[in-house]
Amino acid sequence: MDIYLPIAEVAVNAPLIVLLGAFVGFISGMFGIGGGFLMTPMLVFLGIPAPVAVSSMANHVAASSMSSVIAYSRRRAVDLRMGAVLAAGGIVGAFAGVELFRWLRLLGQADLVVSVSYLLFLSVIGGLMLMESLGAILRRRRGDPAPPRRDRRPVWLYGLPLKMRFPRSRLYISVIPPLALGAFVGVLSAIMGVGGGFILVPAMVYILRMPAGTVVGTSLLQIIVTSSLTGVLQAGRNQTVDIVLALLLIAGGIVGAQFGARASSRFRAEELRAVLALIVLLVGLRMGLGLFLTPDEPFVLLSGTG
Amino acid sequence: MLGPILAVATAALPSPPLPPSPAASAPVISAALTDTTVQVKSDFRGARIVLYGAVFDAAARPSDVVVLIRGPDQPVRLTRKQKVVGLWLNSRPVVFRGAPGFYRAASNRPLDDIATFGVLRRLGAGVDHLPINAPAEQHIETRYGVRDIVVSSLGPDYYDWRRAVVRLKEKSGLYHEDGRGVRFVDRGLFRAEIALPTGAPTGVYRADILLFQDGKPVSSRARTLTVEKVGLERALYVWAHDRPWSYGLAAMAFALAAGWAASAAFRRD
Repeated sequence: MDIYLPIAEVAVNAPLIVLLGAFVGFISGMFGIGGGFLMTPMLVFLGIPAPVAVSSMANHVAASSMSSVIAYSRRRAVDLRMGAVLAAGGIVGAFAGVELFRWLRLLGQADLVVSVSYLLFLSVIGGLMLMESLGAILRRRRGDPAPPRRDRRPVWLYGLPLKMRFPRSRLYISVIPPLALGAFVGVLSAIMGVGGGFILVPAMVYILRMPAGTVVGTSLLQIIVTSSLTGVLQAGRNQTVDIVLALLLIAGGIVGAQFGARASSRFRAEELRAVLALIVLLVGLRMGLGLFLTPDEPFVLLSGTG
Repeated sequence: MLGPILAVATAALPSPPLPPSPAASAPVISAALTDTTVQVKSDFRGARIVLYGAVFDAAARPSDVVVLIRGPDQPVRLTRKQKVVGLWLNSRPVVFRGAPGFYRAASNRPLDDIATFGVLRRLGAGVDHLPINAPAEQHIETRYGVRDIVVSSLGPDYYDWRRAVVRLKEKSGLYHEDGRGVRFVDRGLFRAEIALPTGAPTGVYRADILLFQDGKPVSSRARTLTVEKVGLERALYVWAHDRPWSYGLAAMAFALAAGWAASAAFRRD
């Protein structure tokens, strides 16, 4: 069941790509992340040129996030206002990130920055989140009470001006931290070529102090906005979106995302976070390994003439 | 007196060409491809094309046949992993020009046995003799009083880079050199098989069929082969490149609609 991809100009096994789309869609729907950091290496491993993999994936991310965000919004688990603020920051950040990336490429340092930011963000975020969530699980097993938060009203949320009410998240905080967070994730997503959900989800929990119930759905809403934007920009500027590849990924992704969104309600928030932390940490370590091990083939062909 | 008469006849009737006369003294090679177009559709899994031909030589001198197939030129961007403070990072990319997107050299015995290094280099015959270079890395300077010396900024590593281009292309099945790729099936009659991988670029390919005697090319024929996308594959490719914004918007609109449709279909109530 091989099928030829007109833009990527390679043949791929169609059922395998659909399954891959479903698997990443499931993870996306369950944890509220786009799953780009999982999908890109797998598509490249299957022989698809990296620029085509990254661009076509944006369509898959948008489709599976759309599929699951509706499921979440029926459960009233999407903070529309917070999502809009994050997305507004994200759009500004994405444009700034594209410029920053071009500047780094001119300096010849883009590769260093990409590799180090992958290693740093994936392993640090994965590690911290794993520790926190395992601690919470252990406490609950032992029946200990949750430790009291030292500062219930941190100054970066409540001390800054431009306060805004977020009724769905039961927050009345300054609009600056979510805007800045959205912009930061936008910059990173432009540089690392991923949606940034794996940064957004823990940041919403630990920095914005959003209730666990609205984090996943709101993150998905922000991901839809940024991934639709990147998908259209990539097609328009680089002509690297392969619609046949996107179609196969979407076919699996939208179904997988439904099951993911459904499954997430069966687990506790800290258990979900522990599994997500483990996935993030493993991918980070795997990428880090590539930086430290001596490669078999020192030369690498890059696609496109740049 | 047969020679001039034949020449007149050929001039008067350009097609079909007359077969070369066995009496003519100069040896001649003739060849054709079984297919002159390869259509790339959704089920494209590569293609096999047979090239067949004949050597006409009244004197029956020992002959060697070399078939060179070049796809459209594709610049190659290459990077090398370097250790920087303990980390393996990609170096600045180097662009090589003059590299064909597909290359195959087939001959009835290894190229090095057929002709000398200089002859092969001049013809670009064999993966080691492809005219690949990195012009952006070159500059011309005067050294030891000698003017116009081409110096590559890659230094002595230049040949490692160049060899890597060929090695990586061979690995993906795009370059191949086969010292037994041409088989003589009968006296003067030969055939060669060309395998196009799925990743073969689209465009016009040129096949040069060369006849060697005593290590020198004495006759040649050129044939072209077109690899083209057809049907839906072509329509999508043209759409994506000619109207990229409408293509991108349509692809994204479809993605969002598919996501919404799935969620509506899975609604439980």
